[in-house]
Amino acid sequence: MNRGRLARYSLWQFRDFFMDRGIAILIIGFLWGYVLLEPLRRAMGPQWPGDRTTPVWALTLQVSSAIVSLSVLIALNGIVSTDRKSGYYRFLFSKPVNPVVYYAQLFFVYMAGVMATMLVLSSLLHTILPSFSVVNYLLYTALIYIAMGGIGFFLSVATRYDWLTLAAVWLGARILRDVFGAQHTWRSKAVELLPPVHKLDQVANSLIGTGRADISDVVWLLGYGALFFALGLFILRRGSLAD
Amino acid sequence: MAGVPATSDNDDSATSLVIEFKNVGKIYKSLLGNSVRAVEEFSLVVGDGEILGIAGPNGAGKTTLIAMMLGYLRPTTGTVEIGGISARHYVERNGIGYMSELISINPKWRAQTALVRYATLAGISDAEVSRRVDYVVELLGLAEHREKKVKALSKGNLQRLGLAQALLRDEQILVLDEPTHGLDPVWTQRFRDIVDDLRDPQRTIIIASHNLDELQRLADRVAIIDRGRLQRLVSTGYEHAAPAITRFRVTIVSGHELVRAAFPHAEDVGRGEYDVTVRSIQELNAALANLISKGALVASVVPERSVLEQQFREAVGESQ
Repeated sequence: MNRGRLARYSLWQFRDFFMDRGIAILIIGFLWGYVLLEPLRRAMGPQWPGDRTTPVWALTLQVSSAIVSLSVLIALNGIVSTDRKSGYYRFLFSKPVNPVVYYAQLFFVYMAGVMATMLVLSSLLHTILPSFSVVNYLLYTALIYIAMGGIGFFLSVATRYDWLTLAAVWLGARILRDVFGAQHTWRSKAVELLPPVHKLDQVANSLIGTGRADISDVVWLLGYGALFFALGLFILRRGSLAD
Repeated sequence: MAGVPATSDNDDSATSLVIEFKNVGKIYKSLLGNSVRAVEEFSLVVGDGEILGIAGPNGAGKTTLIAMMLGYLRPTTGTVEIGGISARHYVERNGIGYMSELISINPKWRAQTALVRYATLAGISDAEVSRRVDYVVELLGLAEHREKKVKALSKGNLQRLGLAQALLRDEQILVLDEPTHGLDPVWTQRFRDIVDDLRDPQRTIIIASHNLDELQRLADRVAIIDRGRLQRLVSTGYEHAAPAITRFRVTIVSGHELVRAAFPHAEDVGRGEYDVTVRSIQELNAALANLISKGALVASVVPERSVLEQQFREAVGESQ
């Protein structure tokens, strides 16, 4: 019964995603892509788009992977913490609903939403850059959603300022790896435990470009995100909804 | 609810649903290590079909108790059980009709869609959702506001929407936290009528309120709490507390000159009203009989304070 009513409610959750986040992601993604690629397209004229060795391809990879990260950040922002901060949980969970199942479903509904918006954006990109693979891009989106979104979900359960914390964790991990990663000290071993953000560029290049990626990188990213997602669900189960 | 077929898919329908607080305590701890004891050694059994009031001054711990009863907060010590299982487990399986003190509904939602969403979560079938939503909209007088966004509703209408979502299903347990806060006198009375209609041997209702008059009228018993502790458990019927009431206000329409003979220490407070002090209800009745037999017309006799108000003042005064 719980699953049946939640499955029906998923349509409302998807609608919320589209109205509150999906439209924003589409507008930002479209404008970003247009502002960066359109001037190049005009400047290159008949040379457009060229092969994968041209700067167009490198720029496209950079922009498209950044849009995925930004979309995940927008999608996961306040996924749990907003209901708790605003008190919406009171009426939601006085109904016969398990909060763990509710938020797990919300996480995957939002994933479907992010995939749908990336499908629209990548299809548009594909029309002007035929070598850009929509399928590869969606694979990359799914991977980053789990990897980054899992951590974002955990932070949304554990803190009130989740997007800020996620951005700080993401950026902090990158900086700490750059500073300590190459050393052979305890610090370099410690930074190995941080989110594997250093693998993203490499995975983006290979996955978006060829549809293939180093399996250990993929497993590490997926595992890290899945672990934090599960940890978030565990805290939801064991902790209090109210402050 | 009178005239409305039950639409509950409660797993435990028609079973005994005793709510039991066993030595419940709640301590809030800040990151800096400061702690506040919100509830302390609270034990209470709420019987099946009972209407229990919870009264207490601001910060007494009423809302914390309710949050623990719904499983939103974990007690630091003790347990809260409903029908023999943990409160949160019960709510996840069966649901509770709950109206919180703060009506927190996404302000971007429309009143109608908010109710449809909650009805879906409550497990009301697609076929029944619109009928049930129409019913609560009609019951709470929200018809002209159903297409408005929640942020556009007045305080009173928001309060009614909060109550409407709690009544979507024919719940076995209803928890109403400050239900008439922000309602005008017409809707306050309407609310009381609704609660009277909801009274059922199979339904337990808990009402937390500052309004002692309201609790006196609606509740069977009232738990008076202060500083997180249960100070008193008061039965609201006058038969239990009549001996405690000694001051009354008597209103006389005619025969004012006869009052002093019946009540030698009566205090004239004007407009035909007199404050009288008696030692017992028997003495009050004897004096009134004397007054009426001599030709005075008595319009009303009202205790200076209700049973509950008197007990509340004593309990809260004692705890401070």
